[in-house]
Amino acid sequence: MLEMFSYPFMQNAFIAGIMIAILSSLSGSFIVLRRYSLLSETLAHVSLVGVAVGLLCGMSPLWMAVVASLVASWLIEYLRSVHGMYSDSVLALFLSGSLALAIVIVSLAGSFNASLFSYLFGSILSVSNEDLWVMGVAGSLSVALLLAFFKELYFIAFDEDVARAGGIRVTLLNFMLVSIIAVIIALSIRVVGTLLIGALMVIPPVAAIRFGIGFYHTTLLSMGIALVSVVIGLSASYLFSLPSGAAIVLSLLVIFIIVLVINRR
Amino acid sequence: MPLKFSPSLFEVNNLRFERRGNLVLKNGTFQILRGEYCAIIGPNGGGKTTLVRLLLGLEKATSGEIKLFGYDQKRFRDWSRIGYVPQRSALIDESFPATVREVVAMGRYAKRGILSFESDDDKAAIDEAMDLMGVSDLSDRLIGNLSGGQRQRVMIARALASNPDVLIVDEPNTGVDVESQHCFYGLLRTLNKTKKLSILFVTHDIGVIAEDITRVLFVNQSILVSQNPAEIVTCNEMSRLYGNPSHVICHNH
Repeated sequence: MLEMFSYPFMQNAFIAGIMIAILSSLSGSFIVLRRYSLLSETLAHVSLVGVAVGLLCGMSPLWMAVVASLVASWLIEYLRSVHGMYSDSVLALFLSGSLALAIVIVSLAGSFNASLFSYLFGSILSVSNEDLWVMGVAGSLSVALLLAFFKELYFIAFDEDVARAGGIRVTLLNFMLVSIIAVIIALSIRVVGTLLIGALMVIPPVAAIRFGIGFYHTTLLSMGIALVSVVIGLSASYLFSLPSGAAIVLSLLVIFIIVLVINRR
Repeated sequence: MPLKFSPSLFEVNNLRFERRGNLVLKNGTFQILRGEYCAIIGPNGGGKTTLVRLLLGLEKATSGEIKLFGYDQKRFRDWSRIGYVPQRSALIDESFPATVREVVAMGRYAKRGILSFESDDDKAAIDEAMDLMGVSDLSDRLIGNLSGGQRQRVMIARALASNPDVLIVDEPNTGVDVESQHCFYGLLRTLNKTKKLSILFVTHDIGVIAEDITRVLFVNQSILVSQNPAEIVTCNEMSRLYGNPSHVICHNH
């Protein structure tokens, strides 16, 4: 089994997977607590539009996914915070709208369905050294920002109004958080796939919350769960020739069920 | 912004607030001085919470002027001088992963700034606030596992952790039993008398704090100020202010 680490593509997949596990679980804690879980799913679908446009126009699908995801995240947050629209309604609007747009673009092109398939479900073979560098730089910046504003984001998740009344720049930090999530999702679709990245962002915090511990410990535990599931999922993907994203998400679900049984309340 | 001493905490002139073209508040002219215990009363939907939100900058006034600690609200930055316990603060998400200490520590976040660890001053202020509100023993408990009264005390401890000059408490007794409510009124009295903390208390039950308050703001679209609470607390006056038909329960404590 250890021979898989001798292959460069598996080394890349594990490095990418570990980065994604840390990033998604760290940012996921905030969106889960704010009942904003569908944001990750929605932005993943929007990323698919970026990928389709990239493939259609011969541009980098990854960068187009980042751009599409970022723009959508700002629009979603703008409609929610400035226009006071219900967050679940805004997310539903973007989720179905972006999927419809992606399908239209794919049907127009017709020729890149195989490439698109790897973005839908993730493929460990598709992680290049260049992808790792992009993920490393963007990921480090995201982690630095999340850690720098960790306590403020926690306060906002607990009580947005009191945080604002206390002088915390809630609107700015909300836009920063959705931007970070948008970038993380767009960069993660290579490994986990657009249809499954939402699970990696949501299941680890949801499982960790079941332990009934404080927020800081919950976040650390959530990271641990995400890391373990990525390692198990990627190993299973290599051993049984499974799509990497699906294998990671199934590992997460198994861990979640175990946690649920341990912490019956 | 340099600190300056102002005898008035809130100075409001000709405040008017409309929401989507509908008038919510008008004729808001009053001031609240240091050390005062001020009650904000009025019928449901009269604009009490909106007034509090306007004072805190959570809503923008359509017209008029609000000064905080002598500064125009737009220039005011030292928000940690105002402690805020919002409406229904005791009704929180029971599964939220936050310990009592983590919640109280939030009161120091705005003061600490970014990229900072908890200093000795922060620790001392958090411990003092928890001691004062009698929640030190609950430090590691999850906030969702506490009773309504305990949660309410934790929320006040959070507001006190920033060592504010004024505490704004907005109808905090939703979901709280009667015994805890009485303890709560006693705590506010102590904070006002011994700690010289100014208090703005939004309530329906003015009778239980009638002896403590120094000023009453009656809010029902317009704002009526009385510096003689005893006068406004009478049954007839309350019935007149709340309008007919209304059911005012008068009781002596």
